[in-house]
Amino acid sequence: MTQAIRNYCLFLWRCARIAFVGDWRYYAWMGALSVLCLLGLNAYCKQFAHGLIVTGMSDEVSWGVYIANFTFLVGVAAAAVMLVIPVYIYNNHELHDLVIFGELLAVAAILMCLAFVTVDLGRPDRFWHLIPGLGQFNFPASMLSWDVVVLNGYLLLNVHICGYLLYCRYRNRKPAKWFYIPFVFIAIVWAVSIHTVTAFLYVGLGGRPFWNSSIVGPRFLASAFTAGPALIILAMQVVRRVTASPPGVDVAGVALDGAVPASLVHFEMLERHLPEMASVPAELRSEILAGATVLEGNAGDVVCRQGESSDEAYFVLQGRVVIKREESGRFRITRSSGPGEQFGEISGLAGTPRVASAIVEEPSLILRLNAESMRKLMKPAPMNRIIHSRMTERLMITDRALMTLRGIVQVSMLINVFLLVNEIFKEFYTRTAHVASSHYLLLGLHGHHALVPWIWTAIAFNLIAMFLLVLPVSRSLKYLNVACVLAIVGIWIEKGMGLVIPGFIPTPLGAISEYSPSLNETLVCLGIWAFGLLCYTIFLRMAVPILQGRLSHANEQALYPAQAPVAEPAMAKT
Amino acid sequence: MSCNCNSNKPGCCHSSEQGVSRRNFLRTSAVLASGLAALAASLSPLMEMEDVPSAEKFLQKYYKELTPEEMAKVLKRIENEVERQYGIRPHVRDLKPMDGVEFVYCLNLTRCIGCRKCVHACVKENNQSRNPEIQYIRVLKMPHGTFDMEKGDHNYAPESVPEKGFFYMPVQCQQCKNPPCVKVCPVHATWTDSDGITVIDYDWCIGCRYCEAACPYWARHFNFTKPNIPKDKLNPEMAYLGNRPRRQGVMEKCHFCVQRTRAGKYPACLEVCPVGARKFGNILDPNSEVSYILRTKRVFMQLKEELGTSPRFFYYFDV
Repeated sequence: MTQAIRNYCLFLWRCARIAFVGDWRYYAWMGALSVLCLLGLNAYCKQFAHGLIVTGMSDEVSWGVYIANFTFLVGVAAAAVMLVIPVYIYNNHELHDLVIFGELLAVAAILMCLAFVTVDLGRPDRFWHLIPGLGQFNFPASMLSWDVVVLNGYLLLNVHICGYLLYCRYRNRKPAKWFYIPFVFIAIVWAVSIHTVTAFLYVGLGGRPFWNSSIVGPRFLASAFTAGPALIILAMQVVRRVTASPPGVDVAGVALDGAVPASLVHFEMLERHLPEMASVPAELRSEILAGATVLEGNAGDVVCRQGESSDEAYFVLQGRVVIKREESGRFRITRSSGPGEQFGEISGLAGTPRVASAIVEEPSLILRLNAESMRKLMKPAPMNRIIHSRMTERLMITDRALMTLRGIVQVSMLINVFLLVNEIFKEFYTRTAHVASSHYLLLGLHGHHALVPWIWTAIAFNLIAMFLLVLPVSRSLKYLNVACVLAIVGIWIEKGMGLVIPGFIPTPLGAISEYSPSLNETLVCLGIWAFGLLCYTIFLRMAVPILQGRLSHANEQALYPAQAPVAEPAMAKT
Repeated sequence: MSCNCNSNKPGCCHSSEQGVSRRNFLRTSAVLASGLAALAASLSPLMEMEDVPSAEKFLQKYYKELTPEEMAKVLKRIENEVERQYGIRPHVRDLKPMDGVEFVYCLNLTRCIGCRKCVHACVKENNQSRNPEIQYIRVLKMPHGTFDMEKGDHNYAPESVPEKGFFYMPVQCQQCKNPPCVKVCPVHATWTDSDGITVIDYDWCIGCRYCEAACPYWARHFNFTKPNIPKDKLNPEMAYLGNRPRRQGVMEKCHFCVQRTRAGKYPACLEVCPVGARKFGNILDPNSEVSYILRTKRVFMQLKEELGTSPRFFYYFDV
């Protein structure tokens, strides 16, 4: 047990170190975010010293842009579940690797949520009054105490699931189902609950008719499941772009040729890196040998090309082979395979065109099996299991996965707009006294209309996004991205400022006092957003190499060539 | 690592490696130093803080968990603090609700002339911040014939009151039997005592302002910054749950002047009222004035009755 904890901490330490390694773009991005974070911190320190008077809030409008952002971000966090459900309930493999990115986004979003509620507190020094056991926790009466429970619980669930799955990938080990699947299902229910509880925070207030409406909960979920996956669509394309290499450069290498028949020695080499080989008996080995050859390649050699038809599968015996996939005119590295790892087996077994190219990264020895031999190799159960489990271990952000997300965003957006129409109908058709807040929001009230331009911008954005999403044009990523940006901005306005502020206008005593955030408040918000992006970038910086197989327990030295003992072939060359 | 000299002396590569690591070291420390400097600069506004909580204040226990000895200590500390800040030695008490008492407020809308004397008496009695202004009572000037508060005027300022065609409706904490503010507080910092007064432990409130959002009567007011009370205007007769000076970042509201009413006096707003529109007393006592009013007046009402908050504050008319 202690050993496991020590290993896990070591893993976190390795991950933490990698967060400080990157090219100049990475440093520039992280530097800019850090500067924004510090600006936000500075603004918050001013607020801490002088009180919330430095914000635009007042007794009339006592919550502002902090709580608005909080509400929006709880939705983003909850939306990670829309990736988890297809993968774990409907076995959608396209989205498999995206799940971890979605959950990491949820972790970053929850951290931002916690930051936003903290900066909204008048006495953050008394936060310990909220800790059950230490303070006085008004659970279950106060919806805010529910929120504290569900948000922190969701954070822990996601940290556990992401951390465990990435750790297993790092150790090249199959994750134990009992140790994460139950948590995945709890997280699904939990995700819905975090956003419902956040909605109940508002719905539960009888004195605020604008919020005291049962449709707020469903509207929150619909808008969350629109904005969240939309954000993931954009984030995934950024990841894809950053991990891509310029087109046409790498696959121009010489096709690898000159195979020699394999011998039993090569199987022993493989067994050293793939202990499951032990389950292949000697007579089966000699049968497999009939369809086995060995290739020797230098850096840049092409083992197989995307689009070619072939019925062969490969194992790396020595060295390293990188798997690249061309999509939308760019090459994405989906995996880097080291000794003992297979590639090309999916199309090899199926006889379909190759979905990716394989290029030798460093001088390598590669075992090539034809489909028949590969099938024989997979006969023993342990081999079958390990090969199958590794088939899914590829970082592939395919266009098809993005289109699946598009489908989710599409449906959620339609529901979101439909629910909005419901609310508007109820308010304006009946025109009870309760219409005042909606009137203020949409049309202005008694000459006050600070929010009117905002909400109509939001409605226009949402409608344009909805049409783009419904029309086939959004099958092209360009239009899909436009729709996603519009949807995110539209929902951010609609359920942030558009929900929180009108609830306070007019006040319960009928007075109208408008709100706009102060500069200091805006800086704090920017700082927290920068902090969230900083966290998410660091998470991705750690997760991508692990998913690509570049950062693993076996080859962690490779990442730090400066610290690693100088490799022997390199010495020989100088 | 590349080494361009052709010698095979082992020291050559070694020294260049050392040079790089020295450069690395210098670069890392430069980045680290400027990072720390930037962090210090961002934290610098904290130096402007006037009211840094001491360890004792930071760790102070919840009101209901304080033993009488601990309470005595806390009261002493508060007295010292007030004396240091305002130059007056106050008398701070922890007044408990009396047995067999449930307070109720009745306000005669026929009589109220909208002079706002109650507002100012309340500010004075309860040591409310003058800048920014915090007032527990808001008087609405309402046109005859409606109870729609959106039609009310909060900022009326005529030469003299009352004006023809209007009536005046003062609103303050309604001391609900089913208070939404108490329900939503995440830390039990506000509760209703047995005499029906909803009080706040100013030393326990975390300042989330959820109660302010929950209150249908706009009765709760927040200290957005350090309250500002002129030294010569301080009322030294104080109660822990009542009118002792509040601190930045906490909620406050009308508490029926606990420092007076729990000591057998009337609230300040009642005493100052020039027309006798305000009546206050123990509803459990059948001979009290409020019992008589609620028994005999044909029209009285609770504000926003439909919300189910069940206020202990009644408005009535002389009919």
